[in-house]
Amino acid sequence: MSAYILPILFILLILYCIYKRINTYDHFVKGAKGAIKLVVDIFPFIASIMIAVALLRVSGITTWLTQILSPIFNFLGIPPELCELVLLRPFTGSGSYALLENVLATYGADSYIARCACVIMGCSETIFYVATVYFSQTKVRKLLYAIPVALLCSIVGTILACLLCKIM
Amino acid sequence: MSFSASFSININMNIFWLLMMLSSMLVLLIVNPSEVLSEMIGASTEALELCLELCAVYVVWLGFIELIDASGLSNKLAKLLRPLIKKIFKVDNEEIQKIIALNVSANMLGVGNAATPMGIKAMQALDDKSGKANFAMIMLVVINATSIQLLPTTVIGLRASAGSANPADIILPTLIVTITTTILGIILVHSIEKIRLKIKGRKKK
Repeated sequence: MSAYILPILFILLILYCIYKRINTYDHFVKGAKGAIKLVVDIFPFIASIMIAVALLRVSGITTWLTQILSPIFNFLGIPPELCELVLLRPFTGSGSYALLENVLATYGADSYIARCACVIMGCSETIFYVATVYFSQTKVRKLLYAIPVALLCSIVGTILACLLCKIM
Repeated sequence: MSFSASFSININMNIFWLLMMLSSMLVLLIVNPSEVLSEMIGASTEALELCLELCAVYVVWLGFIELIDASGLSNKLAKLLRPLIKKIFKVDNEEIQKIIALNVSANMLGVGNAATPMGIKAMQALDDKSGKANFAMIMLVVINATSIQLLPTTVIGLRASAGSANPADIILPTLIVTITTTILGIILVHSIEKIRLKIKGRKKK
């Protein structure tokens, strides 16, 4: 079902452009032109955060943090098996999706743990990545309370996700 | 009192990055010093690959977004979402409202990659060059962080390929969580801003 949504929206958009007598090709090219500049602008920011995260993982600090935090996670109702996923989710999209696939394969796609992991992934974001990239083209270096609030919402969402998967 | 003090702590990207780099390098120095450089270059290669992929994705999305804009659909979308955006972001500029409307809509459709260029554009437009994030900027980060998507397509796809009997049965819980955390985020940002304004007002007196 969900596979139909985007193609249908694209077709409707193009039909609407025809109705509005807009040269679709000219405008598409004009918009697409911005892609390379945008990527060149954000690349150093993405690379810097990915370098820091890679070092953090290979140094074993994340594993160590996982061990420290797992009793707290347990207390909050989050399965300790998902500790690493929850911890890495704010930092890396590709890394956390790899962990999700691992959870799906290890525990089975319909297990409680896998369902929790899916809901957690579906309703969270790579907060640090978003913040870095979004602010990268501004003069802002002080994010004030943006990240603490985003992380707090993420934790509440994780706890709620594990709770809902138990009853739904 | 300690409550108000905690709000004045600025999360500075410079300090944050420094802490991550320094702590992991110090540990690696003892554990495995030869990995430091190779791991960094490996990560930056990964970033380059990601950016190449993103570039391809952005070509498609920015092309379609230009069509949305040129056909006047973005104005219609902005008009539809204007009351909500005005209330949540406290932004009066119509051009910025339009960009935010596109960012939020892309997020709802679950195409985060289309949301990113609009998010960057909105941040640039909202920047007051003070070096500090303002209310609307923080709101935009928080709303993007709670990921207000209506259909978690990637996750459903992964679950289906892992052999789930009913891969879509996570939609409802995901939706409930997303809506709850988004509302929570909006309330939190609004109340913190109120408290900050009060403290500022007191300082002026």
